[in-house]
Amino acid sequence: MKTAAGVDVGSTQTKAVLITENGEGRVVVSRALVDTGANVRKAAERAFDRCCQDAGIAASEVGFVVGTGYGRYNISFGHAQMTEISCHARGAQFLCPGTRTVIDMGGQDSKAISVGEHGEVLDFVMNDKCAAGTGRFLANAAEVMGITLDDIGPLSLAATRPVKIATVCTVFVESDILSYLAQGKKAEDILAGVHMAIAKRTMSLARRVNIEPEITMTGGVARNQGMVRALEEVVGRELKISPDAQYMGAVGAALFALEKLDESFESAGWRKEHAVSSGN
Amino acid sequence: MERTFDKCRTVVEDIQFSSVRAWKEAHPGRRAIGYFPVYVPCELIHAAGMLPVGLAGAGDRLDIQHADARFGSFICSIVKTTTELAMTGHLEPFDGLLFSSICDSARNLCFVLKRNHPQTYIDFLHLPQNPSSPATVEFLSDEYRRLLAELERLGGSKISDEAIRNSISLYNQNRSLIRQLYAFRRQSPHLLAASESYVLVRAGNFLPVEEHTAMLQTVLAQLATRQGKRRDSIRVLIEGSFCEQPPLELIRLLENAGCYIVDDDFALGQNWFTEDVDTTGDPVRALSDAYINRSVYSSVRHDFRKPRWMGLADKIHRSSADAVIFLIAKFCEPAYFDYVPFKQKLEELGVPHLLMEFEEKLFTFDRIRTEAETFVESLIFD
Amino acid sequence: MPQTVKSEYRGNIHQQQKDLMLEWYGRLAQAAEGGGPPSVSMMISGNCVELLEGFGAEPIYPEINALQLAIRHQSLEPILLAEDMGYAADNCAYVKADIGCYLKGITPTGSKLPTPTLILCNFVGCNTYLKWFEHVAKLTGAPLYVIDVPFMRADEPSQSDLKYVVAQLKEAVQKLETLTGRKFDYERFRDAVRCSAEVEELWSQIKHLSRSTPAPFDAYFDAITLMGPLYVYRGRQEGVEFFQAALDELRAKRDAKQGVYAQEKYRLVFEGPPPYPYFRTFRDMFAKWSAVAVASTYSTVGGLWEFGFRHDPDHPFESVARHMIAENVTNRNYLQRYAQIKRYVEEWNADGVIIHFVKSCRLFSCGQGDMRDYFSKQLKVPTLYVESDLEDPRYFAEAQTRNRIDAFFEAMEHSKLTAARTGGVQ
Repeated sequence: MKTAAGVDVGSTQTKAVLITENGEGRVVVSRALVDTGANVRKAAERAFDRCCQDAGIAASEVGFVVGTGYGRYNISFGHAQMTEISCHARGAQFLCPGTRTVIDMGGQDSKAISVGEHGEVLDFVMNDKCAAGTGRFLANAAEVMGITLDDIGPLSLAATRPVKIATVCTVFVESDILSYLAQGKKAEDILAGVHMAIAKRTMSLARRVNIEPEITMTGGVARNQGMVRALEEVVGRELKISPDAQYMGAVGAALFALEKLDESFESAGWRKEHAVSSGN
Repeated sequence: MERTFDKCRTVVEDIQFSSVRAWKEAHPGRRAIGYFPVYVPCELIHAAGMLPVGLAGAGDRLDIQHADARFGSFICSIVKTTTELAMTGHLEPFDGLLFSSICDSARNLCFVLKRNHPQTYIDFLHLPQNPSSPATVEFLSDEYRRLLAELERLGGSKISDEAIRNSISLYNQNRSLIRQLYAFRRQSPHLLAASESYVLVRAGNFLPVEEHTAMLQTVLAQLATRQGKRRDSIRVLIEGSFCEQPPLELIRLLENAGCYIVDDDFALGQNWFTEDVDTTGDPVRALSDAYINRSVYSSVRHDFRKPRWMGLADKIHRSSADAVIFLIAKFCEPAYFDYVPFKQKLEELGVPHLLMEFEEKLFTFDRIRTEAETFVESLIFD
Repeated sequence: MPQTVKSEYRGNIHQQQKDLMLEWYGRLAQAAEGGGPPSVSMMISGNCVELLEGFGAEPIYPEINALQLAIRHQSLEPILLAEDMGYAADNCAYVKADIGCYLKGITPTGSKLPTPTLILCNFVGCNTYLKWFEHVAKLTGAPLYVIDVPFMRADEPSQSDLKYVVAQLKEAVQKLETLTGRKFDYERFRDAVRCSAEVEELWSQIKHLSRSTPAPFDAYFDAITLMGPLYVYRGRQEGVEFFQAALDELRAKRDAKQGVYAQEKYRLVFEGPPPYPYFRTFRDMFAKWSAVAVASTYSTVGGLWEFGFRHDPDHPFESVARHMIAENVTNRNYLQRYAQIKRYVEEWNADGVIIHFVKSCRLFSCGQGDMRDYFSKQLKVPTLYVESDLEDPRYFAEAQTRNRIDAFFEAMEHSKLTAARTGGVQ
């Protein structure tokens, strides 16, 4: 039996996943999530260790570790690195077979990936310049309204008359929200407007790649039911969402790691880099 | 009169272009040609028996769902909403689209649309940027004849010089009425709101010129007897809104904040000439000559015989404006570049000014309202 | 295991190019002191430097000044000065950097620049040029003449287009005679046009060298370095000598099968200007993957010569006009640019297209989403879209850019390996 790990070091959260492979196939055996905090190396180690503990597997039994996410070069025990674009595509195709498009909405960025039948990346578009379409936008909106991040999604589903939010700038949307609150609009209606604005903006950018079913949503924002509903309305289809949506990057990384253990198989991303000391 | 303004507003805001569709149904076989801002020789389109329609994006009435895939960030909204209109079939009534050399973004838009609508006649007019050259009038005449040839091909019939002269007369008359309207506003801004005048004039971008002229004549007659109270508003000139248009609410907001908008460049394309175009002799040459030698100053036209900031100074003087509001569309490169020498000129003249950025799509106006009110207050309570 | 590769070309011509440019700045400094030739400010796109030779005038290229500033990491300060003066965040940063230099009284090399005898605005596509030179004229008090070059709205320039530009070129000549007090030397002008034709032939042959595998130089990063002499010395014998030396050197590399990297892995076509403040960094992001540019659109702003056009000394004014209208990337329409890139992909045998969106330049960048759609979706050519700015250092997100580039090459690598495994093309 082969065991491999994927570690996804994001700017706010670090996720790790262990996958085993035997004659019957590949299985995700454990997953862990920690806050990244100031020390990226330690966060990666904590997530990985917890994963091993939960699975009852010793770290030494893990044959290969692939790191992904912005902090991927800072994983001291990592053997190779892959971008999260490649990992999300791979992971989504594994957990949601038939995936041809991935919409990933994370804490800091969002992306759309056109995926081939083997989980390969055909094309991708990134929104990594601003908060629109990311968890941060929603977090800001939640804060302005004094509602927790976990509640804004379900609350938005109760809207009866969603407001129209024109701006996708997280700075300006605050004043838009306050303006609507002052006008006496209901919280759920405002939230529905916010979610719809983000959904439209996300899909608007996503259309740079071929949007084809099945469309799988990944990333932390996939847990927000309000966002899922809004996206489905804009796309005009149901989205596929795995319970491991938030771990998709780590899952993909672990899959790449598994491939490396198959010596007869030359796969992409085999590259050991020195840690980048600045600018990352 | 209010009903006329409402009707005009409906026409101007209609992104289904119902008035254009209705015209085509009433005149089977005749064509409609849409043109992107700022100026296009409508007389030539009219002489071809076609309806010239001035496009100005989709304002806040269309969600951008497809255009972002074709144009990136830092591009003005009107380019995107125009693309969105094209990609969602809204421009179906138009048999042709015309663009001109106003800026880099508009020029690229023309060719992106060409790629995506290869069956439609989409053309780019090179309006000259060296008016002091003796060779320019001839060049532009050639360019206008090139357009005529395309219109003849599209419409299937020849366009006579006589027809063009006739069209020029009609448009001269229309422009003269618009000038009268603007003069009325300068004289009695309390009797005609800028927002009313705005929809009235811009309706001319959609209606046949004959119909629009009749409408203007009627309104001007009615205005002669309109009553109204003068308010304690400051006289303001709006500069920079010659292409992407601000929402009507924004214009109203400025008026409500205490401004009499006594002059503006909202309808610059319809107000393009300083005097009538010559109707004798070669009409194409007359139009060309008018463009080169009898045009108002504009941020999209280089003419160093009289730099634009001098034109602005004259405009301020003519309209007895107390202040200037630079109302500039987000990402509008020509307007933002001109802002620098314009601002310098105003500082030299001691004319107060305010820079306000807008986008076609604005739903909440609190910030802008505060800015405008603060500005007005600072002038009144100086 | 791949090492960090020294990816830039540093042969003899690199040093020669530096020397030539320094000499040029030296002559301009002389002119600034009052002891030198007349000088004419011009834009790079479709420039008519040959005309200046008829007066023995030196060109001043504000764009070269701007990019020099950015490469030396000196562009931010003048940009901020210009913004203080009222220029917007969204105005072209090239202009802001140049204006900022005037305001601050600095130049990229530290040597003086003269007030130009004439500001000759060759309006070749870029509307920003018109504003830029208007502002420079206002600042310096120097006279301004605009050569209005009709845009390529058909496949070929019309007779009317050519006639119009020729007429303006001759007007510019008259203006220069008045301003310089010198008579236009028609023979010297013709000689310059003849030199240009020779230089263009050499440059075209250099550009065609990168059709070989491996490509002996990078047609984006290295080509940009070679462009300076192309715009300053094209009409002079020194230009001919320089490009002959360059061709010899690069041809020798090609013959010896010496590529830019130990092992060339990916061949790319680049669209858009480079991020000058991060030129080296950006280059290294591609070097990591042994990816070389075999062609680029930006290296054809001054002139597009690899498809056969040459200036013609027998028809000097007409061929200068034709060059300005039709034979440079900026005055050609967007669809012609698509065709140009497509031709590069096919004839230079490229694996993918890199579209570099720059915030400052709408001429290049407005509509690149559609360009991407054309190449990626319609032609199925792997395409990468990255974003920053050409002059303003504040708009470069290093980690994000690196991420996009890595993801692109991971996908290309995966694709190649899959094809190899399945024994066919994807």
